[in-house]
Amino acid sequence: MINGTEKILVCCGTGCIANGALGVADAIQAELDARGLSGDVEVSAQVVRTGCSGECEQGPIVRFMPRDLMYYRVKERDAAAIVDSLDGEPVQKLLFKKDGQTYEHMADNPYYALQHKVVLKDVGIIDPLSIDDYIARGGYEGLKKALAMTPDEIITEVEKSGLRGKGGAGFPTGRKWRTAAGYDVFPKYIVCNGDEGDPGAFMDGSTMEGSPHAVIEGMIIGALAIGAEEGVLYIRDEYALARDHIQHAIDDAYKAGILGESIMGSGHKLDLSIVRGGGAFVCGESTALMASIEGRVGEPRAKYIRSVQRGLFDHPTVLNNVESLASIPTILRDGGEKYAEIGTEGSKGTKVFAMVGKVKHTGLVEVPMGTTLRTLIYDIGGGIIDDRPFKAIQTGGPSGGCIPESLLDLPVDFDTLTEYGAMMGSGGMIVMDDRSCMVEVARYYVDFLCEESCGKCTPCREGLRQMRAILTDICEGRGKPGDIELLERIGRTMQDASLCALGRTAPNPVMTTIKFFRDEYEAHIESKECPAGVCADLTQFAIKPDACTGCGLCSRACPAGAITGGRKEVHVIDPAKCIACGSCREACRFDAVLTERRPA
Amino acid sequence: MSEKLTIRIDGVECECEKGEYIYDVARRNNIPIPVLCRSDAFSDHRACCRICIVEVEERGKRKVVTSCVYPISQECDVYTKSEKILEERAVILSLLAHRAPDAQRIADMNKAWGREGFERLVTIDNEKCILCGLCVQACDSLGTGAISTVLRGTEKKVDTPFDKPSEFCVGCLSCANVCPTGAIEFSQDEKTRTIWNRTFDLLFCEQCGSLMGTPESARHAVGEGEVPTVCDACRKKKLADEMMQTYRYV
Repeated sequence: MINGTEKILVCCGTGCIANGALGVADAIQAELDARGLSGDVEVSAQVVRTGCSGECEQGPIVRFMPRDLMYYRVKERDAAAIVDSLDGEPVQKLLFKKDGQTYEHMADNPYYALQHKVVLKDVGIIDPLSIDDYIARGGYEGLKKALAMTPDEIITEVEKSGLRGKGGAGFPTGRKWRTAAGYDVFPKYIVCNGDEGDPGAFMDGSTMEGSPHAVIEGMIIGALAIGAEEGVLYIRDEYALARDHIQHAIDDAYKAGILGESIMGSGHKLDLSIVRGGGAFVCGESTALMASIEGRVGEPRAKYIRSVQRGLFDHPTVLNNVESLASIPTILRDGGEKYAEIGTEGSKGTKVFAMVGKVKHTGLVEVPMGTTLRTLIYDIGGGIIDDRPFKAIQTGGPSGGCIPESLLDLPVDFDTLTEYGAMMGSGGMIVMDDRSCMVEVARYYVDFLCEESCGKCTPCREGLRQMRAILTDICEGRGKPGDIELLERIGRTMQDASLCALGRTAPNPVMTTIKFFRDEYEAHIESKECPAGVCADLTQFAIKPDACTGCGLCSRACPAGAITGGRKEVHVIDPAKCIACGSCREACRFDAVLTERRPA
Repeated sequence: MSEKLTIRIDGVECECEKGEYIYDVARRNNIPIPVLCRSDAFSDHRACCRICIVEVEERGKRKVVTSCVYPISQECDVYTKSEKILEERAVILSLLAHRAPDAQRIADMNKAWGREGFERLVTIDNEKCILCGLCVQACDSLGTGAISTVLRGTEKKVDTPFDKPSEFCVGCLSCANVCPTGAIEFSQDEKTRTIWNRTFDLLFCEQCGSLMGTPESARHAVGEGEVPTVCDACRKKKLADEMMQTYRYV
C-alpha cells in the first residue's frame, strides 16, 4: 500500500542522461500524474532526479525508497510497470542479475556490497538541486560543529583523520591547512580543483554533479580553518552539468545564509565563485590552475616556494581536490578518529575510482583505501568482459602506470603501488584484456600528452615529441635495436628534470609498460610482431575454418568489405582488402578470428 | 639584513644570503653552470630550458633542481657536474639540438656538454627557436605585450595573436635582440623594417641621420611626452652646446 513516503529516484548523472534518463523521469512523472498519485497530499510518491549512482554501464537506474528496489537499463516504456510495482511485485526484467541470481535491493548487489561510501554517500540518493535534501541527510552538520571550534581545533580534527590529497599526490590535508593558517598575509584563498582531465575519469565530475553541497561545505570548513574569506571552484569547461549544479548550490547557500557576509550568523565571511577552465589537462596542475584563474597562460611555475605561502595572486592559497573537500564534512561531523578507522596505516579513509575499459560493470565505486585491485576488478567489477584473460590495468591516467596481473593483489593506496613503479593516481582505472597492445597503449598516452603538456619546459615537450616518434616507429614496424634503452634514457631525464608533476610523471606509461611488458616491445622491434594483434602494420587477420559457424557477424562488422562467405559457410578474409582494424575479432562469438604476424 | 649561510658547490665553500638562487652564488664564485632561458635583464626566470639543473643535497636528501630559481634555505651541498647531472643535461641538450637544428648556440653547447647516442631522434627542419620565452618576457616587460606563447604541447610556439600583425608591436626588436639563438626573423631596408608580419617606417635623427628605431617605438618610449626628433647622442650634444652658450660669459 502506498503510504506517502515513497520516493522514486532516477539517476540523472551524465552517463544516465546520455542513456535517456531525463525521458524516463518525465515518463514516470507523467504516469504518476495520470494516476493522480503526485501532487496529492495523501499520496506523495515523487520523482527525484539524483546524481550518479555509480553503475553507469547499467543505466538509466531507477531506485525506490524506502523499499530499496533497484531497476537497471530502464526505458521510457517501462514507466507504467514501474509505477505498478510501487505497491506490487518488482518488475523482474529490470532487476540486476548475475550468475543466474536476481538482486532486488542495492545492498545485496555485489557491485555495491563491497563499497564504503563517504564522499558518495548522498550521491544517487538526494536531489543535487535541493539544499533541503542535503540537510535532511546530515548536511551542514559538520559546518555547525566547525563554527563552534577554533581554526586550530578544526585542523587538528583533519590531521587526526589522516586525510591525504585525493587528487593523486597524497599530501596530508591537515598539514597543508596548518601551514596556510600560519601565514599572516591576507587575503588568503581556498581553491577547489575540479579540473579532472584524465581520460576515462569522472570521479570529481560525478561528485560535483551529485552532491554539490558536500564540496561547498568542505570549502567553507577549510576557509574557516585557514582564515580565507574568498574561494574559487575551478571547474573544467566540459563539465557543464557539474558547473550548473555547483552554481545552483552556491546560490542556495547564499539564500540560506550559509555563504556570504556571516556564515550561519557566525560573523565569519566567505564568498565562493566558479571559474571555468578551458579544458586544458595541464590546468589541473596547481600552479597552472592558479595562473589560469589569474588570467594568464596556463603554465606551471617552479614550486620551490609553495602555494600555501604564495599561490593565487601571490597570496597564501590552499588548493584541494573535489574528493578531498567532499570528505571534510563527514570528518568534522563524525570526528577525525572515526574516519581514520577506514583504510590502511598510511592511507586513511576511502577512495573513489572510475572503472572503465574491458570490465563487466563499469562505473563509479568508492572503497576503503587498501582494497586490492583484484577485488575491484573481479568482485566489484564482475571480471573481464567475455571472461577474457586480464592483461593490465592502467591507473592514474596519463601520469600513471600499467599494472600487470602479478601485482593485482597489492593493496591500492598512496604508497604501495608507487613502490612497484606504478601509482594509484587520482582514481581513473582502465581495465585491459589480452587484446590490448601495451606499446600502443603507451603510444596513446604519449600522444595525448603531446597535445596536453603545456609545452613550457624542454624535457616534457621535446621528450614527449621524441617518445611519440619512437613509439610510432615501433608500432609501425620501424623499431630499431636500442629504442627501448633510448626511451628509458629520455624517460629518466623527464622524471628528474621536468618543471612540474605532469612532466615528471609523463613518461610513466612508457616506463611501466617497458618494465612489465618488455617482451612485447622486443617482439615489435625484433620480430616485427604485435603479440596482441592490434598494431595494423604488423598484424593480419584470418578465420579458423574449424571454429567458424558461418554466422556472418564478422562480415557485417567489417568496414572494408573484406570478408566473404555464405550463410553457414566458413568465411574468408581477403588480405588485400583487410585494414586490420580488428572489428571482426570483436564481433566473433566463437573465437574463430585469429591474428598472425603480417609478412613484411 | 638577511641571514648568511655557507654552502658547498662542487666542494667549494661559498658564502651566500638565505633566499639567493644557487645559480647566482655559483656565478659569483666562478663555477660555470650553463643557462639558456635566464637573462640578467629580468628578475623573474621562467626556468623552462632546464639546462641549469644541478643536484642539491639537504639533510641527506638529494634531488635535481633548476639552479636559476632554487632559493637557498639551509646549508647544503650542490653538485653541478655529478654523473646524473651530466647525463640529464646531455639528454636535454640533445633534445634541444634536434628541436632547433639550425641554432648555432645549441650546437656549440651540445659540443661542450653533449653525449653520444641520440642519432635516432627526429629533427624539425629549419627551426631555431627553443621556446625559452625570453622574447615574450622582453615584450611583456616593455609593456607592449604584442607576442606570447600560443598553443600548447608540442605545437607550442611564440607568435602574435592569430598570427596576424599586432597593433601593439612597436617594431623595437627587443625580442630579436634578447633571443639566444637568433630565431626571430626581421628584415630591414633603407626606409622600412618588417617584423612579426608588420612593416614599420624607420625614424632617423633630423641632425645626424642615424637610425632611431621606428616612430611607434619612439612614441611608446615617451608615453604622453613629446616624440624626439633627434637621436640621443645629438640631444646630448645639443644640450651640452646650450650649456656652453649659457655659461660662456660666467
